[in-house]
Amino acid sequence: MSAHEHAGALPPEPEKATLEGRNKILGFWLFLGAETVLFGTLFSAYLALKRSVLDGPRPEELFQLPMTFIMTVVLLVSSLTSVFAVQALHRHKKGSMLGWMAVTIALGLVFLGLEIYEFNEYVHEGHRFTTSAFSSSFYSLVGFHGGHVLFGVLWIGLLILQILKKGLTVVTAPKVYVSAIYWHFIDVVWVFIFTVVYLMGKV
Amino acid sequence: MTDNHSASHEAGTQRHRLEGPQKHIIVFVLSMVLTIIAFAAVASGDLNKMFVIFLLLGMAIVQVFAQLAFWMHMKDRGHLFPIIGIVGGAFVVVMLVALALLWTWW
Amino acid sequence: MAAHAHTVKRYPGFWGWLWDWLTTVDHKKIGILYLVAGGFFFVIGGIEALFIRLQLIQPLNDFVSEDTFNEIITMHGTTMIFLGAMPVIFALMNAVVPLQIGARDVAFPFVNALGFWTFFFGGLLLNVAWLTGEVPDAGWTAYPPLATTAYSSHHGVDYFVLGLQISGIGSLLGGINFMATIINMRAPGMTFMRMPMFTWASFITSALIVFAFPALTVGLVAMMFDRIFAANFFDVGAGGNIVLWEHIFWLFGHPEVYILILPAFGIISEVISTFSRKRLFGYSTMVFATLLIAFLGFMVWAHHMFTTGLGPVANAIFSIGTMAIAVPTGIKVFNWLLTMWGGSIRFTAANLFAIGFIPTFVMGGVTGVMLASAPADFQYHDSYFVVAHFHYTIVGGLITGLFAGIHYWWPKMFGRMLHEGLGKLTFWTYMIGFHLTFFVQHFLGLLGMPRRVATYLPNQGFDTMNLVSTIGALLMAIGILIFFINVVITSLKPRHATNDPWEDGRTLEWAIPSPAPEYNFKQIPLIRGLDAWWKEKMEGNKEMKPAEPVGPIHMPSPSILPFIMSVGLFISGFGFMYNLVVAGIGLAITLVCMLLRSVFDDHGYHIEPEEHKKGEVPA
Repeated sequence: MSAHEHAGALPPEPEKATLEGRNKILGFWLFLGAETVLFGTLFSAYLALKRSVLDGPRPEELFQLPMTFIMTVVLLVSSLTSVFAVQALHRHKKGSMLGWMAVTIALGLVFLGLEIYEFNEYVHEGHRFTTSAFSSSFYSLVGFHGGHVLFGVLWIGLLILQILKKGLTVVTAPKVYVSAIYWHFIDVVWVFIFTVVYLMGKV
Repeated sequence: MTDNHSASHEAGTQRHRLEGPQKHIIVFVLSMVLTIIAFAAVASGDLNKMFVIFLLLGMAIVQVFAQLAFWMHMKDRGHLFPIIGIVGGAFVVVMLVALALLWTWW
Repeated sequence: MAAHAHTVKRYPGFWGWLWDWLTTVDHKKIGILYLVAGGFFFVIGGIEALFIRLQLIQPLNDFVSEDTFNEIITMHGTTMIFLGAMPVIFALMNAVVPLQIGARDVAFPFVNALGFWTFFFGGLLLNVAWLTGEVPDAGWTAYPPLATTAYSSHHGVDYFVLGLQISGIGSLLGGINFMATIINMRAPGMTFMRMPMFTWASFITSALIVFAFPALTVGLVAMMFDRIFAANFFDVGAGGNIVLWEHIFWLFGHPEVYILILPAFGIISEVISTFSRKRLFGYSTMVFATLLIAFLGFMVWAHHMFTTGLGPVANAIFSIGTMAIAVPTGIKVFNWLLTMWGGSIRFTAANLFAIGFIPTFVMGGVTGVMLASAPADFQYHDSYFVVAHFHYTIVGGLITGLFAGIHYWWPKMFGRMLHEGLGKLTFWTYMIGFHLTFFVQHFLGLLGMPRRVATYLPNQGFDTMNLVSTIGALLMAIGILIFFINVVITSLKPRHATNDPWEDGRTLEWAIPSPAPEYNFKQIPLIRGLDAWWKEKMEGNKEMKPAEPVGPIHMPSPSILPFIMSVGLFISGFGFMYNLVVAGIGLAITLVCMLLRSVFDDHGYHIEPEEHKKGEVPA
């Protein structure tokens, strides 16, 4: 593990330079396999229950395409900035990397803000968590996704602080890489959410 | 954190060409286009429902593939097990979608 | 990374010993923790089983009330599967897999410890229900509407949901850990097709865990939301669907039974080949068959739902899929038999269990094929025939296999060999008791005795067989007791086991001292073929060839955080039931620990070459 390094010089792809780093990356991908099933099950419940609207507002009435589109673009751009952060990581450009990470979480916060606003609107329209099976499954699916975004924001924020303190090393690099993979994943999940929940809800 | 100098794990010490942002920006533009098409198809309200649903799914799948392959590096070497992980998860999701759409009734 | 390595602080005396066990991240110690905790919960589940059998010993018995009976059967099933069987599986995986692949620990030692403590505290939360008098009573399958607050208004099902949720986190973490370990940390020369069968079985089982447990997670979340936050997933009046629960539960539940049995298959392959002094017959086929069983295992879940009204097309699809799984399973059985054929067989206690496994599991398997026929299942469903089937496979299969593995690997874990005579006595009492208990249950089912009922009327033909079954259960209990006596007696003997105490060890774990030293391998070995250790022995070598020079060995540091994180989750479990502020506090404890873990990097410590000879695991 320590045999390849010269003191001070970061290797290319520093996140993969140690066994621990490679383990972390692999372990995280396997965790994403599990998360795929987790979100899949939430989707499954939503698909089964989405017609059980009871007295509450129906999907066509509730969902606003412009708002959903903006949220989608915000998250998509944040996924791109996350790519740029990893590219800066590979170029060993700590400042640039931290900058892109900061933009990523700022956009994540915008997404969350919009989502909270959206949910608040829905509640006023009579679409509450307890309203119907549709509403419970909607808030569970979209809410869990939002929860993942929030966790990502906190995690990446914490990493920014850590790297400011400890610098970019073969120990901190895998953390950045893994957080980026996580962030991309929640954007991938959002692609399915806006497609299956919002767009198909309006068709 | 154990010392394992196994010869099979050469940790990226070969000369590594740093890739530029071009491919990723292309994926971004592609994703935007696919997203816009999807939203437009629904917003227009005129098209045949089945067609729109297939279009939406198609757009989503292409976008997801592009993001997995490029943004998440799944097309790069050394990603066999990540692929197995995601494909395995997707396989179970197929079962989940089937059971929700075909086999739930009241 | 030249780590700022420090030496581990070891405290003296009892508190130092306790601290050592609470903070360990060593897979070998974690394996022992799993074994002890699993054994503890197994005894609880066993007592619950005895209560069931005592209630059913005669018609119209009143040993326990109907409500209590429902609680007992629920807790028996839940405890045995999640808290008895799975932990012992993890015990053996932890104790053996890193050694079999030539690694010094698992990929994520900290997460390994976390997996143990979450399992333990989840199991504790579930069983605390007994102390509160609000015990889950909706079966281990917790079907709505029975499990919803409409029909189960006290906190029983909440203990079930929350306890399992917390325990399930541990299982998922373990699954990810072992997959990563096996993928990334095999010794040089150990390709996938040179891995021992137990490692292969552990790998595939871990994949099953990774893909099956999240479905249970969501199901439990939905049930929890319904019960605690008035959601409507399963409330039909609000548009919910009860078949959805069954689908989600069994989509997890069927792979779960393969999670239970595949490790046993791995153990049998190891034990039979070792004690036949012959390599496993058809290794590649065995690997492929295991993969096929795992894959097909995700496509047959609705065979637990034949009578719900899915319709003939769905029933036919799932029937055929279920029957198909018998094929790769049958291949494995033939390969074990062909391994023994022409071999030089030694009937050690471990091998008795392994050989006893074969016909017993086959009996369980064939009743499975009977159950797979959907029309026939309309008769078998919810009768004792089903109970007989799954006990034959899980107890006659898995538990027997675990006993084989425990007897086989005991010296490697503890440095002592279990007493052979007592082991054989355990085998005979347990096996005879097992068949007495469960064989008659096939006929009880065929005669129409339903399952999950607290009593039955006399003179229906059930009386004698229920009596026989209860006597069998008592005999099984005696067998288990003999095993525990064996454990106690053995622990009083000195640690004399050699590195290869069975002398016919084929795989890497037998190349190192018993018990394994703290760092496992002084030098990571070079693997030159399948059954790597046997290969070296047959060429006259006393040791494995090393793949690296002697040097300082870097070890992960112990940590109290996994324990504290699990306590946090335990507290939050109570909070969700009784006070949401407490729930928040519990979760906050866990999250703060995660933050600490992220911020304070573990630099580990070194074991220097001079210390290698003394590097022994203090028990």
